[in-house]
Amino acid sequence: MGFLHLERVSKLYGEFAAVRDFDLEIEQGEFISLLGPSGCGKTTTLQMIAGLVAPTNGRITLDGRDITREKPARRGLGVVFQSYALFPHMTVAQNVAFGLEMRKIAKAERDRQVAEILSLVQLTTLADRYPREMSGGQRQRVAIARALVIKPPVLLLDEPLSNLDAKLREEMQFELRRIQRVVGITTIMVTHDQAEALSISDRVVVMEGGRITQVDHPYSLYEHPKNNFISSFVGKSNFLAARAVKETAGVSLLVDNTDLKIPATGNYPGGELCLSVRPEKIRLTDPAGGMLRGSVSSRYFLGNQWLLSVATPAGEISVSVANLGAPPPSEGKVTGLAWNIEECRILAAEQEGILQS
Amino acid sequence: MQKNGLFALAFHSLIVLFVLAPLIVVCLVAFTPQNTLSLPWDGVSLRWFSAVFHHPDFVASFWNSARLALFSATISTTLAVPSALAITRYSFKGRDALNALFLSPLIIPHLVIGVAFLRLFSFIGATGSFGWLVAAHVMVIMPYALRLILAALNGMDLSAEMAARTLGAGEWTVFRRITFPMLLPGISGGWLLAFINSFDELTMSIFVTAPSTITLPVRMYMYASESIDPMMAAVSTLMIALTGITMIILDRLFGLDQLLVGKG
Repeated sequence: MGFLHLERVSKLYGEFAAVRDFDLEIEQGEFISLLGPSGCGKTTTLQMIAGLVAPTNGRITLDGRDITREKPARRGLGVVFQSYALFPHMTVAQNVAFGLEMRKIAKAERDRQVAEILSLVQLTTLADRYPREMSGGQRQRVAIARALVIKPPVLLLDEPLSNLDAKLREEMQFELRRIQRVVGITTIMVTHDQAEALSISDRVVVMEGGRITQVDHPYSLYEHPKNNFISSFVGKSNFLAARAVKETAGVSLLVDNTDLKIPATGNYPGGELCLSVRPEKIRLTDPAGGMLRGSVSSRYFLGNQWLLSVATPAGEISVSVANLGAPPPSEGKVTGLAWNIEECRILAAEQEGILQS
Repeated sequence: MQKNGLFALAFHSLIVLFVLAPLIVVCLVAFTPQNTLSLPWDGVSLRWFSAVFHHPDFVASFWNSARLALFSATISTTLAVPSALAITRYSFKGRDALNALFLSPLIIPHLVIGVAFLRLFSFIGATGSFGWLVAAHVMVIMPYALRLILAALNGMDLSAEMAARTLGAGEWTVFRRITFPMLLPGISGGWLLAFINSFDELTMSIFVTAPSTITLPVRMYMYASESIDPMMAAVSTLMIALTGITMIILDRLFGLDQLLVGKG
């Protein structure tokens, strides 16, 4: 049994299920991300773990102890809120010391622990500042320090980086991971940013409409998404409509409007299918040598890479090409496209359009 | 920022002039050395200010008003904090009705409230009681305090309270250490506004004050209905100055726009 265990946890608001049958076991020291679009129930799940929202059904246990109905104050979990929720009328040191005060820890010991945690988040020199006198990134560190100083068994982060600008977000992402490793604390982070989830988590939990749709390590989540939604939400994907055709030696997938056949294994009763290929898995070839042929309809330079959109009989395909030397063909030029057949995923077609938003 | 046209500028200046002119004239008249209400063309004198301070009735009434405003503003703010918390934080049956009831003294004419209190006080034998006068004032000034505290509560980030709870604070500690300090600007703004309103209140007070509890506005009204001399202008100037200083403090502390327009 895991360190933190959620068993069939649900939250209903009348008829509406914000979270339904959430089942997850988390090991001690793990960094878990709850990933999904807004309204998928990820924040509600986090709040149920924190004790700020009472689950309608299910059980939450922490280290074998049932905490489902325990008040947040008794759970003793560290929570970092999206707005940071710093106490505006207290200095950084007072903010951080608050949890220790509540635990009736003597002043001298309190000061020592506050100083220790502030040095961990590199804020020692700003201890006497008020939150309003600090930048977003610094406030974020205060919020983390305040949550960590009470030595909680679990750290809960609600969209911790969403209020920071892009560059700072990238820095803080790795900073967060560094702190988590140093402290060795079990961490659950809610995010809608797939890059964030992939880069720092041990495991990613993808949620859609209140349910878990996939739990996986970042690499396997990216390489083996279970449905169209995940393959378009986690990274980018090209979707090619296809149908299964019987061959003498088994089954092939014929991409619509082309004569491109991809050998496949398995059984596809519906016939209508969908192939997903990541833009970075596609190579540009000379016009005659590719699996598909098309003309470049747009080309953008992103610095480290080029982003091309190629009009093919199978539809617009986006391709990203690393900036390694000569620029790729410009707009209007004809090019061939190829990829290793094991790089594309076969998904059932009926999900497309509904989930791909 | 868009600039105002010439016409708009002239229009606005006229309105400002229209609003300020009477006040400016009163303040100027207060400095006249003459015995009549006249502008101080022939020299400036403080004799009418000195007359105010040597007039025992006015001095007594000033202290009456100050004491009354102090008590009633404090009591109404103390009542407004839990009322505002109940209205914003909880949903219960009759919440909107309660909110309307609390704010209703703003709509009912003070004249009507005054007559009603006059009847009530003579019925229960409370005429001339300072305590009951405070009660009457609490009722009419509480909406001002309530409104500001409501605005402050609506603008408050609830997650700070949640954070305190997750850090181990109980409900009372959350209120004492987090909610109350975060609301303090709104509460003190509400208190000041309630204080000013009590200090200025005339219409209702005419009906409910007795000779021993006459407030400064009532005293001025009585004085002015018998005789007119520049002392009235001097008292008015002092009151304008007092109100003005309070407003400046209010603005410096919290920003008047935010307080009076409110966010709720």
